[in-house]
Amino acid sequence: MHKKLVEIKNLKTYFFVEDTEKQKSLHLEISDPVLMELYKTDKYLKNKVPAKAVDDVSFDIYEGEVLGIVGESGSGKSVTAYSITRLIPDPPGKIVSGEVFFKGKDLLKISFEEMKKYRGNEISMIFQEPMTSLNPVMKIGDQILEAILNHEEISKEEAEKKAIEMLTLVGISSPEKRMKDYPHQFSGGMRQRVMIAMALALHPSLLIADEPTTALDVTIQAQILELMLRLKREREESAILLITHNLGVVAETCDRVIVMYGGKIQEISEVDPLFEKPLHPYTVGLLSSLPNPDLPMEELKAIPGNIPHILELPKACKFNTRCTKAFDKCFEVEPELLEVEKNRFVRCHLYESEK
Amino acid sequence: MSEDKTQKQVSTSILKKRWKKFKTLKRGYYSFIVILILYAVSFILPLFIGKDALIVNYKGEYFFPIFKFYSAESFGQNIQGEANYRLLDKQYKEENSGNWVLLPVYPFSPNENLLSELAGNPPHTPSSAHWAGTDDRGRDVFARLAYGFNIGLSFALIVTLLTYIIGIAIGAMLGFYGGKVDMFGLRIIEIWSTIPFFYLIIIISSILQPNFLLLTFILTLIGWISITYYMRGEFYREKARDYVSAAVSMGAKNKKIIFSHILPNSLTPVISFAPFAIVANIFSLVSLDFLGFGLPPPTPSWGQLMQQGVVNIEYWWLITTPLIAMFLTLLAIVFIGEAIREAFDPKVYSRMR
Repeated sequence: MHKKLVEIKNLKTYFFVEDTEKQKSLHLEISDPVLMELYKTDKYLKNKVPAKAVDDVSFDIYEGEVLGIVGESGSGKSVTAYSITRLIPDPPGKIVSGEVFFKGKDLLKISFEEMKKYRGNEISMIFQEPMTSLNPVMKIGDQILEAILNHEEISKEEAEKKAIEMLTLVGISSPEKRMKDYPHQFSGGMRQRVMIAMALALHPSLLIADEPTTALDVTIQAQILELMLRLKREREESAILLITHNLGVVAETCDRVIVMYGGKIQEISEVDPLFEKPLHPYTVGLLSSLPNPDLPMEELKAIPGNIPHILELPKACKFNTRCTKAFDKCFEVEPELLEVEKNRFVRCHLYESEK
Repeated sequence: MSEDKTQKQVSTSILKKRWKKFKTLKRGYYSFIVILILYAVSFILPLFIGKDALIVNYKGEYFFPIFKFYSAESFGQNIQGEANYRLLDKQYKEENSGNWVLLPVYPFSPNENLLSELAGNPPHTPSSAHWAGTDDRGRDVFARLAYGFNIGLSFALIVTLLTYIIGIAIGAMLGFYGGKVDMFGLRIIEIWSTIPFFYLIIIISSILQPNFLLLTFILTLIGWISITYYMRGEFYREKARDYVSAAVSMGAKNKKIIFSHILPNSLTPVISFAPFAIVANIFSLVSLDFLGFGLPPPTPSWGQLMQQGVVNIEYWWLITTPLIAMFLTLLAIVFIGEAIREAFDPKVYSRMR
């Protein structure tokens, strides 16, 4: 295995939402001393309860790997990724505690001014919506130039050369001419290419792709994924953190997968074992809910129930409301994330005895 | 690719597209052209309307009185003080001695007393020489209207520009930083806006002699408030957009985000609003002049003419001509505003039937 690039330890990102009724009983419930302290010092939190979007998440990203985070909407996968670059809207969001070591430096301890030196330069992001992620009144070229000039002290001509180079790399024809175009003259797939060109212009060590293909149609999806992987292959040491709810994309592109549910990591695994033998009941449910073209006429096996409201997550195991294999212990004690095989972690009582 | 050459794609910015759309809206576009030309001409108005001759040829020598003061004696005119070029023109024509005078098309100045040349008591009725008659001090009304146009429009443009600069800056600040800045900023603005500015102007005018600068200053003090609300709202909306998040995630600095990302995307409402702000400011100046708290006499002003018209209601041209002038000007600017609004509207007007 390669060196660790990012090390995330006990990350907790909460969104504080107003709820007067719950607030009354809240103080009895708070056991976390950090949260307790926060409530004492921050007046803004009065009458607010924490929605635990990311609750005690720890994982590592290694150099050169593609790490996928999968989960339903609201499972905390995006917030986890945004917490790495601290792009959490505050208020209402807050990174309550935890550590994010990037190349040995804790990103949660530095100032936002310092953070800007990392954003775009060391850690870049690609967003879900290519249609709205580009400034509609700025030329494409200018936007890429800006991304480059944010961090590098080079002349405009040099930056322009670099921007054209990047646009060629992401497969945009006649880039010199297209530099002068506005976003509305590009299709969705082309815009996502521009976003990728922008994100990769400064050769970041970590590329966070937040559902980069969700808003695109299937043929373009494949192209964009292929492009991202090709660009990654050219630079051995860089890593990609791919957030998606599309298990097909995960199987195709990722080296390792994190399955999240209810703000917690439920399973971490290398990609092939996960698809061969999913351990966590939630992962099993996710995989079996995929439509299988080999077996026609079969009804889709959806996971029963809905993801619970974030303020009403169950006490013990977060999945116990929908789990088919839940037994008494699941409603009493929260399971730990245990390493059941090598590089294979599961948070489920079913596998505790095996250890 | 060979196709690229045949279908040559021209990059058009959104602003250019809007300008193109604006051009197709004939009423607004022609109003814009007319106002633009009239305003440009009003800066060289002495060439067209004024008492000073453009060129005087006296004894084979050329003089340009429009740029320089000449006494009457230097042209052989038998009056005291500055030469009267209208009389000089008549005199030369009678003498027929090869001397000549080239007068402006409309040879009367706005502040010139014509009592010595006109029979009877002022105000004089409109005639072929004086298109809109004279006012109660024997000054040519048409010349005063023409010069008043420049002053009124300049005043409105300057006030609008200043209020926009201040309003946009403060609104952007409130909207971008939000939180406590917004909270306290808005309260200060609310307190500020409760000051009764009309009385303030009247009080100031009664103490100090109001002039162009002072009036600009006072009206700017009031005018920026409404722009602030617009900009604040726009910034609040735009800063949550994806492209701003994308720019932040690229490590852009606050300055860059404000000026090159959010600001150009938030200007639409204030640009559409600008012509109406200009209309409002012209109207403010006319109102103040009408009430006698505006520009000091003898500055040619529409409001002051209207005030004369109300006092001398039997002399109809004193009230009708400035009203018509103001009506046409404001109408043209409102047409421009309407066209700008439509050009900036992404939706084509339609409804289901």
